[in-house]
Amino acid sequence: MKKLMSGLLSMTLASVLLAGCGGGKADNGASPSASASDSNAKGEPTKLVISTWGFSEDFFKKEVYEPFEKAHNVKIVTEIGNNAERLNKIRQGSSDVDIMYLSDYYAQQAIDEGLFETIDRSKISNLDNIYDIAKAPLGEQYGPAYTIGRLGIAYNSDMVKQDVTSWSDLWSPEFKNNVTMPNITTTSGPMIIDIASKVAGQQTLNEDAAFAKLKELNPSVVKYYGKTSEFVNMFSQQEIAGGPIMEMYFKDLKAAVPGAKFVAPKEGAYAVMNTVNIVKGSKNKELAEEFINWHLSKEVQEKSAKAKVDSPVNTQVQLAGDETEGVTYGADVINKLVKLDMKYVNENIKNWTDRWNRELAQ
Amino acid sequence: MKKTYLYWLLLPGLLFLAVFMIIPIVLTIGSTLFKEGSFTFAGYLQFFKDPYFLKILLTTLEVSVASTLLSVLLGFPVAYYISQKAPRRKGVLLALAIFPLLTSPVVRSFSWMVILGRKGLINNALIWLGIVDKPLEILYTPVAMMIGMLHLFLPMMIISLVGVLENIDSDLITAAQSLGASRVKAFRKVVFPLAMPGLIIGGILVFVGSLTAYTTPALLGGKQRVISTFLYQNAMTLNDWFSASVIATIMIAITFVVVGLMNKLSNKLNPKG
Repeated sequence: MKKLMSGLLSMTLASVLLAGCGGGKADNGASPSASASDSNAKGEPTKLVISTWGFSEDFFKKEVYEPFEKAHNVKIVTEIGNNAERLNKIRQGSSDVDIMYLSDYYAQQAIDEGLFETIDRSKISNLDNIYDIAKAPLGEQYGPAYTIGRLGIAYNSDMVKQDVTSWSDLWSPEFKNNVTMPNITTTSGPMIIDIASKVAGQQTLNEDAAFAKLKELNPSVVKYYGKTSEFVNMFSQQEIAGGPIMEMYFKDLKAAVPGAKFVAPKEGAYAVMNTVNIVKGSKNKELAEEFINWHLSKEVQEKSAKAKVDSPVNTQVQLAGDETEGVTYGADVINKLVKLDMKYVNENIKNWTDRWNRELAQ
Repeated sequence: MKKTYLYWLLLPGLLFLAVFMIIPIVLTIGSTLFKEGSFTFAGYLQFFKDPYFLKILLTTLEVSVASTLLSVLLGFPVAYYISQKAPRRKGVLLALAIFPLLTSPVVRSFSWMVILGRKGLINNALIWLGIVDKPLEILYTPVAMMIGMLHLFLPMMIISLVGVLENIDSDLITAAQSLGASRVKAFRKVVFPLAMPGLIIGGILVFVGSLTAYTTPALLGGKQRVISTFLYQNAMTLNDWFSASVIATIMIAITFVVVGLMNKLSNKLNPKG
């Protein structure tokens, strides 16, 4: 209900805004160019269904969907929900989604179950302009990452006196009874297993060492958060001094607590990739590829970075000063990110979840 | 029976229930009894042999029973007070009593976080008064869960009790007292037994509500899970619909057992009621 209301609200808002600035969108070829695939430019608009999270919906509506709708005579319909809910809908086969946004961890599950269409890379020319790490995170046949975030540590410098530089600092007395960790079932959950294994001194992921280390931390954990909003809320209420969180949400923490700091630990921050894919059975494959190309374009990438909606993967995007705060930006930052093998994660996640439930969540 | 056509009036309602309730429930329960094509109770055995699941079940039952008992303790006096008022005042008071139901569980839970947190209202007051020197851990414990549930379900108890209490003839109490019963005895022997149906309905509503509540325990509870959040995890994040169906069936069974027990109890306390 809340979602519906805010959806309606943002839609009306977007339409009002658009009515105000009707058609000043011409740009040097970066705007969604009309291609051969939409010869029916004046006919009935094609319906394109996009399955996505629903955050910053007003931004996407105005800056991403509307220009594409106009250029290609398309009507974009969105389906909103978290990763797991939306993936389950596709699994049940009861939906007509064309394009699906999922974090890499869930996208890998969809690929393993044969739910995604392969993409034609030659149709997505902007792939040449994005970071290598984002081009094919789940294999050449499947969709790219349109944004890369990173998981680091955010903490309240009024409560934590020493400088935080390493993942192992979360185990220090400064965070006693003061820390939150992502729940295993969130996108960053599996990274916590890898982090704990590293802190325990293992070179490659050692499950037993990781759980032993996490057990050690367990009494200090106030709550394992399932949604970022819980982190933000606990942080602003000073229930916690900090914990691992994605950089994109740092602006919310900073707004609530001026002393908030974000660090990429020296062992490396973790790459969190959100991918875009075409769902098997889509009748609009070419149009969908065109849309993915549009989302990777410099224009969209730059706008979403400046609005602090998504960190850019397009290497042509230039940001300076305040524009980079809370945004994962720059080749040197991207190259240092640690990336988990999602295939490996998916093979183990059921077992990890079970151990997590039994050994930690009580 | 000449008026057989009257049965046709039931048809739309029954059809609706069959399609949207009975068939899904039967399918859910049925799916838990077959694994790889053969009839088996393995799903249930696996759960009841598992100390981890039993612990979740126990926490859930504890919180639900405690919420139900507390809602009786807090709700009965309020309901009695409201039932004694003139109709116009009664309407206003009842509206106030059900006020918590008008806000969303999310908003309610967030307000409790502000009140129960380490830097929250209660802890600040306790520290300022010098009663404790270190904040109490209330938020993210079963106690916080219980407070949230009580807030949510107390109105149900009050509404069901007011319904029966206002129908108790005050002459009955007068009669009991004129025959030598003390006020307490009149209450115990006359008012309480007559209020039994309301208590049972209220108790069932609060208990089943607490047993199945999801938002409140998810937001106010800490590391430990309750059965509904465990079900959600199995269905939505692990995509294990078999386990989820087994848990759902166990919840249905618990509900039936509890309703049965409460009816027995009410018959015992008020044999003619």
